[in-house]
Amino acid sequence: MRILKSWRYPGNWPFFRFDDRLLLILMAAIVGNFSGLASVALNRGLLLMSEWLHHFRHYWWVFVLPAIGAALSSLFLEKIVKEGAGHGVPEVIYSVSRYGGLLRFRSSFSRLISSCLTIGSGGSAGPEAPVVISGAAIGSNIAKYFSLNDRQRVTLVGCGAAGAISSIFNAPIAGMVFAIEVIVGEWKSVNIVPIAIASVAGTEISRILQGNQIPFRHHLFKIDLLNIFACLGLAVLAAAAVILLTRMLRSMHTVSHKVSAPVWIRAAIGGCAVGVIGLFLPVVLGDGYHSVEILIEGEYGQILTVVALASFAKIAATALTLGWGGSGGIFAPCLVIGSLVGVTYHHLLALFMPSISWVNEGYFALLGMAGLISGMLQAPLTGIFLIIEITGGWEVILPLIMVSAVTTTLCRYFEPASYYLKDLVEHGHLLRPGTDARVLSDLTVPELIERDCITVNQNMLLRDFIAIIKKSHRNYFPVADEKTGDFLGIIHLDDIRPHLFNPVMYDAVFLGQIMNTQVETVHPDDDLLDVLRTMDMKSLFSMPVVLNNKFLGLISKATILDQYRKELMVQTSHQE
Amino acid sequence: MESRLLHIFRNNPLGRETLFQSIYFCKKIGASPVLYIPKTTKFLMYFDNDVVQVDLDASYLTSPDTAEKHAAEILEQAGLQPRFLDPKHYTASTLPDIHTNFDYMCCPRAISDMSSKIGLGYIGPRVRRIVNAARFPVLITSPVYKEWKRIAVFFGGSANALKALRLGFNVSRFSGLKLDIFTQTGKSSKEDYKQVIKDENLEQEMDLYVDQWHFFENREFEENLYDVPHDALVILGAYGHGLIKNFVFGSMMEKIQSTISNNLLVAGPNFTILR
Repeated sequence: MRILKSWRYPGNWPFFRFDDRLLLILMAAIVGNFSGLASVALNRGLLLMSEWLHHFRHYWWVFVLPAIGAALSSLFLEKIVKEGAGHGVPEVIYSVSRYGGLLRFRSSFSRLISSCLTIGSGGSAGPEAPVVISGAAIGSNIAKYFSLNDRQRVTLVGCGAAGAISSIFNAPIAGMVFAIEVIVGEWKSVNIVPIAIASVAGTEISRILQGNQIPFRHHLFKIDLLNIFACLGLAVLAAAAVILLTRMLRSMHTVSHKVSAPVWIRAAIGGCAVGVIGLFLPVVLGDGYHSVEILIEGEYGQILTVVALASFAKIAATALTLGWGGSGGIFAPCLVIGSLVGVTYHHLLALFMPSISWVNEGYFALLGMAGLISGMLQAPLTGIFLIIEITGGWEVILPLIMVSAVTTTLCRYFEPASYYLKDLVEHGHLLRPGTDARVLSDLTVPELIERDCITVNQNMLLRDFIAIIKKSHRNYFPVADEKTGDFLGIIHLDDIRPHLFNPVMYDAVFLGQIMNTQVETVHPDDDLLDVLRTMDMKSLFSMPVVLNNKFLGLISKATILDQYRKELMVQTSHQE
Repeated sequence: MESRLLHIFRNNPLGRETLFQSIYFCKKIGASPVLYIPKTTKFLMYFDNDVVQVDLDASYLTSPDTAEKHAAEILEQAGLQPRFLDPKHYTASTLPDIHTNFDYMCCPRAISDMSSKIGLGYIGPRVRRIVNAARFPVLITSPVYKEWKRIAVFFGGSANALKALRLGFNVSRFSGLKLDIFTQTGKSSKEDYKQVIKDENLEQEMDLYVDQWHFFENREFEENLYDVPHDALVILGAYGHGLIKNFVFGSMMEKIQSTISNNLLVAGPNFTILR
């Protein structure tokens, strides 16, 4: 029985408590393996769906396939697993920011199934974000099972995301960089080592089960200085595409919410529209990896107008799929749009400067992908390493860095937060470790209340009050109703200063006459950030905390600063 | 600071009964109820080491336009100031986060399943997860409003039972009601249980708050439950096992809740807050 009981809390086994770092590395390997398996499962699921639906592709009604897929995906999320739609990466970052990486167990499989339905049927979305939330949820739940603390849990969430991205792209460095740059947001060795281990584990699982292949065939490009500088123009075009995609995604989301129909109907409408576009431009359908391969090979063979139109169509199709309730991520669409934008740019160069010998259009397709990923995620390192790893193109690293850096900078100018972070930033939910907002979010009003205040009543004479002041070291005195005890106002020492040197007034002034009744009060449930904002706006140093009209105590800037320092030390004490 | 009880309001007659129970509990122990009127059937509760998604049954959204008015009326009639919880954070646009910084929470036996609303039924998986994860004890109400005039604590000598006993002392102190302890003796003798009390330095509290200590020695546990006063608030500790573990190993909480219709106050394995 004792053995059975010990299974309940495996995190307490002496073996796991031997060394926290070793424990985390071991856990990271486990999480990396499981998230790798989740990626392989989704990959296989998409292949199966695609093979099965291939037989229906020649029918006239094929355009309804994405609608059926999106509707089923939405129904699955809403009715079966009862989980909100969306691609899930913001949910992971939100949980890391606010709740120490706690994620629901159902998230470890729900998006895999829903995105399989959406993408497999032809919806314009990618499988990467679903595997990220899946891997992150696996990490979070393994941490929960082993009773790990918040900090370790956040690291394992990052490990899950890293393992998933590494596995699906066979790109360990990109997975690691993505997890640290986008999910955890903290470059500390305490995170880097376990996340690196998880990346390796996830990649290995993928290589064992699917073979060690890079997603896109490697090409050698002869790049001269002119071709390197030409990529600056591509960066501008890529930034424009990113801004257009971001805004279209948001506007589609807003428009779809104005349609008073069930979510699955809305998803079907979006899917149907994608299906119709796909009849004319098949490049917009599905994750589009095959199209990317053709574009990198330089075999797309379409004129400028068609390629430019395809770029816009893919942006519209992605916005229609994800904005109207389909399930999936934006990684793969970014790769397709990026490569289309790159090829468009190559056509433009050839059109306006025909005398110059430009490098193959595949080169610009590759750079376009890096630009779109970097700009959309505002994570340049992820963009650079991902493109290098999935194409094996180390020789294009210089223009890759340039495009990624310039696109990210331009995008930040127009969209200060990335697509993943925009909502979180707007709602004040992005709380990166060690930041002001994060420290304050971990403190609550009740733990900062100073209770050593002397409460007086409105009928007290100034003389009696002066006797109380002599015994107190405080400047603020709350006034409560003599009968009900309800909070009426507050007296600051400054309020009685005019009467202090006039003894005649001692027996003539009641506190009810001089108390300040227009007092800003704090509720115990208020956010500390809001409290501090009010203090700053109104130049206050202390505020009374009132609950149910009863005075509980004072909250002061000095106490907040004191606790702030302690909390900051706690949050940064294990960082290296 | 006064203690607070979280109540998820259901705007129908059954919900009214549950709110009456919460109000009665709050008045007895000097707590104040905080009501959450759900706008969607889903919400999340983030605990220290777990996140619980509560999927409410559709009856929680009955007549949303009158819900706040009905709840406020009931509270005002009871002389309590209505306080409503307005979620500040959302995990997804349709998933509000309900904070867990409360001292008590009131739950019906099942929160997501319509089949067992009126009958005793079983304790639903969501309520189990809440009991398991929460630092606060969970008040699981009887199906209809029932006042309690005594306190009954089930004590089996385990760490969780000790938590329940300490909770019982607190409720007794706040309410001024004496408590009875009920123990089903198995392999251990009466002296063993008394030794546990002694080891935990609870003898003084036992003298202060306990009226009688009943030992069940002969019959089956379910049969002995007939001796528990029908008008008692029953306090017990719970391991918070899932359905499968309960099926395999059995659950004292399930036996008690499915046999007696009293209000239950359940302290889970993470229960720590005592004010």
